Amino acid sequence: MKENNYTSPPIWMLRFFRWFCHPAFVEDIEGDLHERFALLIEEMGLRKARRRFVLEVLLLFRPGLIRSINLFPELIHPGMLKHNLLITYRGFLKDKSTFLINLIGLSTGLACVLLIYGWVNDEMSVDKFHEKDSQLYQVMTNFHGPDAIETWEITPVLLAETFMEMYPEVESATLTSDRYLPEGKISIADQSLEANRIFADERFFEVFSYELLEGNPKQVLADQNNIVISEKLANKLFESTENIIGKTVEWGNAFVKESFQISGIFEDPGPKSTRQFDAVLHYDVVLAASDRWQLAWNTNAVETHLVLHEGTDIDDFNDKIEFFMWAKNPNRKTNRLFAQQYSDKYLNSRYENGIPTGGRITYVRLFSIIALFILLIACINFMNLSTAQASRKMKEIGVKKTMGAGRKALVWQFLSESILMTLLSFFLAAGFVTLLLPQFNAITGKELQWDMDPSAILSIALIVTITGLIAGSYPAIYLSGFKPAAVLKGQLSSSRGEHGMRKSLVIFQFALSVIFIAGVLVVDQQMQFIQSKNPGYSRDNVIAFQRPRNNDDLDVFLDELQRQPGVLHASNMVGDILTGWDDQGGFSWSGQESDEKWIFKSPKISYDVLETLDMNILEGRSFSKELQDDESKIILNQAAVELMQLEDPIGKRINHNQEPREIIGVVGDFNYGSLHHQVKPLIFRLNHWGRDILVKIKSGDEQNTIEQLEQAYQKFHPDYAFNFTFLDEDNQRLYEAESRVASLSKYFAFLAILISCLGLFGLTAFTAERRSKEIGIRKILGSSVWGIIKLLSTDFTKMIVMGILIALPISYLITRTWLNNFAYKIELEWWYFAGTALMTLLIAWSVIGLQTLKTARLNPVECLRDE
Amino acid sequence: MSKHRLGELEEIVLLTVAILHGEAYGIAIVNEMEERLSRRISIGALQIVLRRLEKKGYLISEFGEATKVRGGKRKRYFTVTNFGKQTLKDTKDQRLSLWNAIPNISFGN
Repeated sequence: MKENNYTSPPIWMLRFFRWFCHPAFVEDIEGDLHERFALLIEEMGLRKARRRFVLEVLLLFRPGLIRSINLFPELIHPGMLKHNLLITYRGFLKDKSTFLINLIGLSTGLACVLLIYGWVNDEMSVDKFHEKDSQLYQVMTNFHGPDAIETWEITPVLLAETFMEMYPEVESATLTSDRYLPEGKISIADQSLEANRIFADERFFEVFSYELLEGNPKQVLADQNNIVISEKLANKLFESTENIIGKTVEWGNAFVKESFQISGIFEDPGPKSTRQFDAVLHYDVVLAASDRWQLAWNTNAVETHLVLHEGTDIDDFNDKIEFFMWAKNPNRKTNRLFAQQYSDKYLNSRYENGIPTGGRITYVRLFSIIALFILLIACINFMNLSTAQASRKMKEIGVKKTMGAGRKALVWQFLSESILMTLLSFFLAAGFVTLLLPQFNAITGKELQWDMDPSAILSIALIVTITGLIAGSYPAIYLSGFKPAAVLKGQLSSSRGEHGMRKSLVIFQFALSVIFIAGVLVVDQQMQFIQSKNPGYSRDNVIAFQRPRNNDDLDVFLDELQRQPGVLHASNMVGDILTGWDDQGGFSWSGQESDEKWIFKSPKISYDVLETLDMNILEGRSFSKELQDDESKIILNQAAVELMQLEDPIGKRINHNQEPREIIGVVGDFNYGSLHHQVKPLIFRLNHWGRDILVKIKSGDEQNTIEQLEQAYQKFHPDYAFNFTFLDEDNQRLYEAESRVASLSKYFAFLAILISCLGLFGLTAFTAERRSKEIGIRKILGSSVWGIIKLLSTDFTKMIVMGILIALPISYLITRTWLNNFAYKIELEWWYFAGTALMTLLIAWSVIGLQTLKTARLNPVECLRDE
Repeated sequence: MSKHRLGELEEIVLLTVAILHGEAYGIAIVNEMEERLSRRISIGALQIVLRRLEKKGYLISEFGEATKVRGGKRKRYFTVTNFGKQTLKDTKDQRLSLWNAIPNISFGN
């Protein structure tokens, strides 16, 4: 009876146990398990007993009890492993040039992958350190203009608080701003420092995870008089971070000068943060200084950040908030809101028609692909050289198979060879990376370093293994498939398929190289074009700087600048001409088709700016001090004239917020902002109070003139350093991302072609060597050196030409897509591609030529005597 | 002598094996420990200690007869070796000498 009552423990658990347990212990422990299970049932009933049983089995999963980790005992036999390593080692020794080619190829390939992996990893982790990253969103504004949708980061001030009240999905919200109040200085008794400050509200440190060293995140900004400063700033001001809570500092510029109490210290925002700041002040400081006009719903002034409750459907939420502004202000039908994940903004910061459509993510993808392809090119070298040299392994394989080696064992042998090769290359690559890292950081503007956390080690191990497997798989399958009888007789069944495979791999390699080179050429041309394109005004010898304080004495200051002998023009404006951010709506004109309000590009400039920038005045005149022009005068660009369809614009009036404005001049179209954007309709307004000074100086004596300017500057602003820039240098900075891509891709293209040529070199050398007897005989029979070179290089030439033919249309498509990022771009000329093709062919020929020439000039006696 | 130090669990398991004298196999040891010390350990924890003790030479083991109760699996009986016994004695002596060295005053009697 007892036997019938016996209930077996869960059988799948027992199977699992039998699988992992060391064979010597299986029997008795399993017996114990049965016995224990019977007892457990008595004690706690079947269901609980089963659960306990599972736990018992899991607790048996320990290093001392499990079998040794050997999933393929027949393959990783210690003796076999040793044998394989020895054979591999001998192979390396015997054929040093192949070994070196593979080593150099794979290690440069791996070094590229490692560098790019580090870079991509770093890019992907920017702004992701916030604890609530997955819930952290920023509210963006889509402005639906009549002709296009523009996307802005800024929103009304009241939005954060209103959202918290209105929408249950919003857990918390904060606003930040670094606009509107000019940069100021932070000072204690005897010291005064320029500090990069932002304004935020009391929830800032709860929403964002900037670590506070001192102070409670909920309270540090509770009061308008509080200031939270960075560790760096604290150290600069007090030479310590201790005991400074509660101390008073002054912060101020021309508009505000107040005392603030230090309420907290935060860790410096590291390189992983896009937001960089030294001090946080309460936004009420701005409100107090700006007379609270910013509280209006029709003013976009701050960035609004939301923490949404976990599990909020972001699409639903976006549907809810889309027309929020319409409800608040009927004139703002055009402004539609949406929330974008905060950390997503770093990689996806380009908007087309109001939808994020890429940005840095494009380069992240691009470089990931480039790295993979370079590695692939290196792997192909390995494949080709291994299979090409099959004849050397023939006897070995034949003998092994005759002795009973299975195909699996042979596959494993070749795979272990390729993995060992990759491992060696990895160590070399690690050396390269260590050497190149400072250089790489300089090009990319990153602060990468060897950071050995478990996930990095795991990924690197994965990269190495996969590379080894890719490189080794084809040779392993191909070589292990030899028929022992045939190969021992010396017949290498060189099937058409194998030869075709090798050919197509070479074609693939060169196709990739050609794409890289063509890409680099086009990127380079485009960058040169951008740097040198005439923007419609002159940036040469224009110095730009900002006045740190109020402009009461502006006329005196400008006069002083003007008096310096090296100065041609001195003027001022609001903002700058290069970033082109100043937009203004509310213009209307007669003949306007509908009551749509257009947003115009609308920089506010003072007298003499047009002259300083040497703009082309087509009709009318510039703003003039002598004629006492005031705000009622405007100057249009040509695009604006065309938009308004004005026949004879000078003297015509248009309205700005119901106030009449007289057009006094028309300037030729110029690029306000970067060349990523088309010239848009633009209206110059007159504003005499801009603090951004532009000075045109005479060429030839820049150094002296700058010194003169500095002295003048110091006279007016004794506390402040004279920080100036040249406009043309600023302009180059606009294209920093592209410049970086351009210089990085140059290196990568160089590596791609280098590795491809290495492979080609190896293959030619091998072919030449194998055919050395044939060549000897041909020479004896009267063949010329030239004839032999032709004989040897025809095959390779065909492959390379094939690769080029495949690559050209692809590279045309790719470069054209890239160029579409720019509103102003070069035409793709045929010679870019022809030049690339020719260059590739020449490089390849020189590699082949060297090798074949050597063989062709060999004395036939040398290769024919040993038989 | 000081080289062969026993861990706490090792000592208890070794003693239990000695108590069971010839009847010591996995579950019997677990049950005995539970009875005497109200201490339940998992089979995994016990087995790992047993194997370790065997490897160090404190225990030897042999298979017994198959029974139907245990799913037809044989038991593995453990016995304490002479070396094991010696180590147990040494451990006990060490403890005693420590106990004896405690001045009366520290425990209040």
